[in-house]
Amino acid sequence: MKETSDNTRRQLAALSAPALIFTVGMIAFPFFYTIWLSLEAFSATGASHFAGIVNYRHMVDDGEFWHGLAITFTLYLLSLALQLVAGTYLALLLFRSKRLPGIIRSLFISPFMMPPVVAGMMWLVILDPSLGAANYILTSLGLPPSDWLASPTWVIPTVALIDTWQWAPYVALIVLGGLQSLPPSVYEAAEIDGASPFKRLYRITLPLLMPTIMTATILRSVDLLRFFDIIYITTQGGPANASDTLNIYGFRVGFEFFQFGYASALMVTLSVIVLGAVLVLNRMRAAVEW
Amino acid sequence: MSDKTLSDRLIGFLNTFQLAVAGLVVIVPTLWMVLSSFKQSYEVTAYPPTILFTPTLSNYAALSQTTPFLHYGLNSIIVTVGSTLIGLILGTPAAFAVSWTRVTWPAVIALVARMAPGTLFLLPWYVMFRHFDMIGSYWSLILTHAVITMPIVIWVLLPFFDGIPRSVFEAAQVDGCSPVRLFRRIALPLVSTGLAVSSILAFVFSWNYFLFALVLSNSDTKTLIAASFNFIGEGSTNWGGLMAAATLIALPPLILAVIVQRWLISGLTLGAVKG
Repeated sequence: MKETSDNTRRQLAALSAPALIFTVGMIAFPFFYTIWLSLEAFSATGASHFAGIVNYRHMVDDGEFWHGLAITFTLYLLSLALQLVAGTYLALLLFRSKRLPGIIRSLFISPFMMPPVVAGMMWLVILDPSLGAANYILTSLGLPPSDWLASPTWVIPTVALIDTWQWAPYVALIVLGGLQSLPPSVYEAAEIDGASPFKRLYRITLPLLMPTIMTATILRSVDLLRFFDIIYITTQGGPANASDTLNIYGFRVGFEFFQFGYASALMVTLSVIVLGAVLVLNRMRAAVEW
Repeated sequence: MSDKTLSDRLIGFLNTFQLAVAGLVVIVPTLWMVLSSFKQSYEVTAYPPTILFTPTLSNYAALSQTTPFLHYGLNSIIVTVGSTLIGLILGTPAAFAVSWTRVTWPAVIALVARMAPGTLFLLPWYVMFRHFDMIGSYWSLILTHAVITMPIVIWVLLPFFDGIPRSVFEAAQVDGCSPVRLFRRIALPLVSTGLAVSSILAFVFSWNYFLFALVLSNSDTKTLIAASFNFIGEGSTNWGGLMAAATLIALPPLILAVIVQRWLISGLTLGAVKG
């Protein structure tokens, strides 16, 4: 009998072996190699030698790094707030309309399943400062036109709006799933007690939804802190460096200036930030669990 | 009583009205992209913008003449199909083993791969592929994109394997069926839906992925997404062509996503939310 279970274990190991080998070669080894690279100094000739924390010390003194960090968190907090509010609002609307035609669902899926790069191309044309449809709508409503992505002041809010257009429906579908799994008895009890609709929303529905909203928060945080595609396709971090998030900056240091050691240090730092955010948010989710 | 139904009807109407507005906000930008792709070049940059126009296919026709669009499209298909297949080959048996043994390392690795910024992996890969003279090769793109697809396959398939009743496995084992045979003969056919869903999601995410091909492809192996950059450069003078390219690039993932929409949310949230 013992022999069979040994054999079983061996076969199960064999089944996961290909994935394990691939993971070691393509994920684990590169991961540690990046940490190693971040401790190396590269000279102009391409030769490198161990340099300890030189790259990290350079980072602390680098104004561009602190600027990138500030941009990253501004974009993160702005986008997250916008899409959580818009997403929850959409979810409540969807939940209350009893029958949800499949076409509406498909419609809501379309923004976040299209390539982010395509979303960037599309909005680049719509938001064009001189000929775009967005400014036409603004001016016909008597509002001042905006330079959108071409304005150092507005580029981050604009990117946040584009990302909200793309991902608020995703948040909505997650929150809708949470709403549908709430026990109906809660509503019935509140209704019998004569609680007003607003009171029911703030006192009962939203607190019960908090774990689902936190799940959406964690999933969006991972993407938003690493924001890359839409910015790179529309502004490459510009105008000047107004949308130079850490991820964009790290990419440019690595593949435009070819400073691999310093780029690695930036990416290790960004990974630690993402991981830290996930750990903190995970603890917050545990606190609102019921 | 009739008073209540009236206010109910009003609330219902307001609800539908807000939903309609939200639906418009969601769909109008995409619709505008598609409409622009059918406009003549003088009309697409017309100001004020026109809504009624005589549609033309000239932008689409011009794409294959002025850019290697079909060649890039073929590259996209090679990389996407290749990485989806590798993701399935690696991920499916691993998901079965995870479901059986409850060992969680593949799940954890998948999470790490999902959380780390792509550039973190791109830097060492670039050094590695340069060492093997593989930069610009299809294999460098397929292997790196498999880092996206394999975790998706594992996460999407896990609940499907978990859904098979344990008694099915136990009965087969009593009959002397080994795990490998059990996997191939019994478990795989039972998760055919999961296989379809995971291949489609893996395909979509591999197709949409931008960063790796941006650095690792060359003019011969460039995918459509990586080539978008060139389209924008040329598109500054030709919005119709740019929007036609954008529409065509978005079409495969959008069609596929609609097919799997029932499983989409639970798949995208790594099973954290039941869709």
